Amino acid sequence: MSITLKICAALVLSLLISNVSYATKPTLTVYTYDSFTNDWGPGPQIKKAFEKNCNCTLILVGLEDGVFLLNRLKLEGKNTKADVVLGLDTSLTADARNSGLFTKHGLKMTNSALPQAWEDDTFLPYNYGYFAFVYNSDLLKKPPTSLKELVKNEHGPTILIQDPRTSTPGFGLLLWIKKVYGDKANQAWEKLSRRIVTVSKGWSEAYGLFLKEEAFMVLSYTTSPAYHIIAENDKRFVAAEFSEGHYQQIEVAGLVEASQQKVLGRQFLSFMQDEIFQAIIPTTNWMYSATLPKTSLPDGFNGLVQPSKTLIFSDEEISQNRKKWMNEWLEVMSK
Amino acid sequence: MHPIQPTRTGYWVLAILALVVLAPLLSLLAQTILIRGESTGLPFWQSSYIHRVIFFSLWQAFLSAVLSIVLALLVARALAHYDTFLFRGLLLKLFGLPLVVPSIVAVMGVVSVYGSNGWIPLGRSLYGLNGILLAHVFFNMPLAVRLLLPVWQLIPTHHWEMSEQLGFTRWQQWRHLEWQALREGLLGISLLIFMLCLTSFAVVLTLGGGPKSTTLEVAIYQSLRFDFNPSRAALLALLQFAVCFFVACGSSLFHKLPDVEITLSNTRLKNKSKNQVINIIIILIAFIFVSMPLVSMIIDSINSSILVVIQQPKLWFSAILSLFIGLAASSLAVITGWLLLDTSSDLAVLGRKRKASLIEILGSIVYVVPPLVIVTGIFVLLSPYLSVFDWAIPVVIMVNAMMGLSFVIRTLGPAMRQNKMRYKSLCDSLALTKWQRFKTIEWPLLRKPVGLSSALVAAMAMGDLGVIVLFGTPEITTLPLMLYHQLSAYLMPSAAVTAVFLLFFCLLIFWLLEKLIGGK
Repeated sequence: MSITLKICAALVLSLLISNVSYATKPTLTVYTYDSFTNDWGPGPQIKKAFEKNCNCTLILVGLEDGVFLLNRLKLEGKNTKADVVLGLDTSLTADARNSGLFTKHGLKMTNSALPQAWEDDTFLPYNYGYFAFVYNSDLLKKPPTSLKELVKNEHGPTILIQDPRTSTPGFGLLLWIKKVYGDKANQAWEKLSRRIVTVSKGWSEAYGLFLKEEAFMVLSYTTSPAYHIIAENDKRFVAAEFSEGHYQQIEVAGLVEASQQKVLGRQFLSFMQDEIFQAIIPTTNWMYSATLPKTSLPDGFNGLVQPSKTLIFSDEEISQNRKKWMNEWLEVMSK
Repeated sequence: MHPIQPTRTGYWVLAILALVVLAPLLSLLAQTILIRGESTGLPFWQSSYIHRVIFFSLWQAFLSAVLSIVLALLVARALAHYDTFLFRGLLLKLFGLPLVVPSIVAVMGVVSVYGSNGWIPLGRSLYGLNGILLAHVFFNMPLAVRLLLPVWQLIPTHHWEMSEQLGFTRWQQWRHLEWQALREGLLGISLLIFMLCLTSFAVVLTLGGGPKSTTLEVAIYQSLRFDFNPSRAALLALLQFAVCFFVACGSSLFHKLPDVEITLSNTRLKNKSKNQVINIIIILIAFIFVSMPLVSMIIDSINSSILVVIQQPKLWFSAILSLFIGLAASSLAVITGWLLLDTSSDLAVLGRKRKASLIEILGSIVYVVPPLVIVTGIFVLLSPYLSVFDWAIPVVIMVNAMMGLSFVIRTLGPAMRQNKMRYKSLCDSLALTKWQRFKTIEWPLLRKPVGLSSALVAAMAMGDLGVIVLFGTPEITTLPLMLYHQLSAYLMPSAAVTAVFLLFFCLLIFWLLEKLIGGK
């Protein structure tokens, strides 16, 4: 009896909770990843700032990561709720553009702070960063100074990385090694694999294990130390600077072709270039702003490693090779 | 007397399950054919990669299940023979906990204990099969103890007395009394644990040391994420289901349901054995093994962010939402489980045991269809008609209830069958209505296993991350999701606090449910 009552109450309640109805104001739905939307990400502040002037309701939907974002959009096709997709990176933009699900943004990027010129007419960047191996300078006194040294030195530090099949930084390292080693990438992985303590599902697991000192270095971003400096006043964590340069990740947003709110969507994309939006990014997403010069970033960002060279593949090149490269990687690493 | 017809409710449950599982799967299969039609050389199931993955998945799941069950038998026996143990109740509650720990937290706990700076440092040998087995035994041994322990209470007191008169040795007691009683449930429980380990993902990948340790679950995730090949994901999900089905059917051939009627006795086992030392040692070791990772979590949680985290209103809202999801999923699972078992136990009583166990197998192995595939399929299927995001909570409840069904079938199944064997003809001859029978015969005798299964399912659903994470509506945050967000925002200390909060919260709910539903 009590169970029956409970289930009835449960069903009624669940309907009540979930059918949140939004007022008559126009609604803009942005699909993004969930570290963007959660309480500690940029989402809540950006929603507030945008809604102040748009006379609309901004709904942020946070999916697992950039790859899932694009896949969900492909699955939903024309029926998607999304007006804007924010959180793809330059390893996905070619696929995204070729899917035909996005429309041109029609905006000009006048104040780019990126190290390269931005010419994409479908996607606009909102932040960028570089992959790097982060270490605790109390525990590792002589970090490797190049990717080649990290790979070659058999007695070098142990590392934690993420799986390229399940994680964006993990795939970033695959690209980084491909860029530096080209056809010899497999041999490099084979050498490196002996010092990989484990390959985790996502960034959080690897970084958590790193903080538990399971290995000397973890694959993360050059900007990770900024978090420890600014939020924890802890200066021990440093990103190792590699002489070959660092692989760059640029995160972008685009307007969905099937959207009924294109005007509002464009308004959001141009708001994304605005100083209000951009000032929120560094200390919530822990990346470099796409438009604000580095000098205007908070203090903790000033002492960070500045890659001597920016490494990046064109998005078309990645689109054509991603499966091939992944299979090569799996082959080497499964031995 | 009119001929006895088995109840039909179980068939309805199976039909609904089939709809909920197959419709999303088919929608994924269809979707890919429509939008792509890509074909490349070898069909994927002939690739050596998939062969390796299947082999590894089965191998690690088999080892984990055997190890968990063998150890659980030792521990459960010790607990059964030494039931005056002071903290027995508390220990058993503790054993319900590993089930709720989100896998990422468990990985951190295991690493705190066995990692290079841990209390029992295993160094890098932790990463590989060792780590996988350690984590899986940590998760599943306590669960198996919880499920096996009630069996000892089914052994009639006079059997023990007789065994003593006959001067049975410990081994003979085990062989002729305990093993006979355990046989029925053991296979089902082993299968449940096999399935839990088969579908393990983050634990296997992270503690497994790398892509050598790839399970089918990882391959499914890879198909949906990296390769974006939904039809392959659906096929792999079906493959995983089929593999499990064969394992289940194959093992049920070796498994005979007891023909004799087992007497239900509530008498406590009176073991006069003076030699309790071994039992005490076993219980202590088990206690230390299970509590170490939990204690390490508690230690991690004692940090400066404790007050900040506890004072967040969002933490409490999330707790309420988690509680609601847990209770709803567990009620749904218990009701559907009951309806399904009503039919299967009727069939068993009528002697149609094959059919009975087939129904139970089908009901429980739904567990191995990954929620990721089901929910993605639901999005494809329903997004043309409604905003699936608004239905996040009902879907999360439904999918978790489906996963929980497996637990209900294992905990409630044997008890229900024995209840029917004993009382069915009596009820039929008295011409009791269904409701009368439920009220006077079934409920009083079955509320204990119902209490246990609802507590288990509620705990499992409260710890769910896999389903809720697919919706991503910021207004809907459960405790595990909050934890996951903290972890992805460098907030490892806050996450440690949230994890312990989740643990204690679940402990409380577990205790309440077992008490309220299970009675004394």
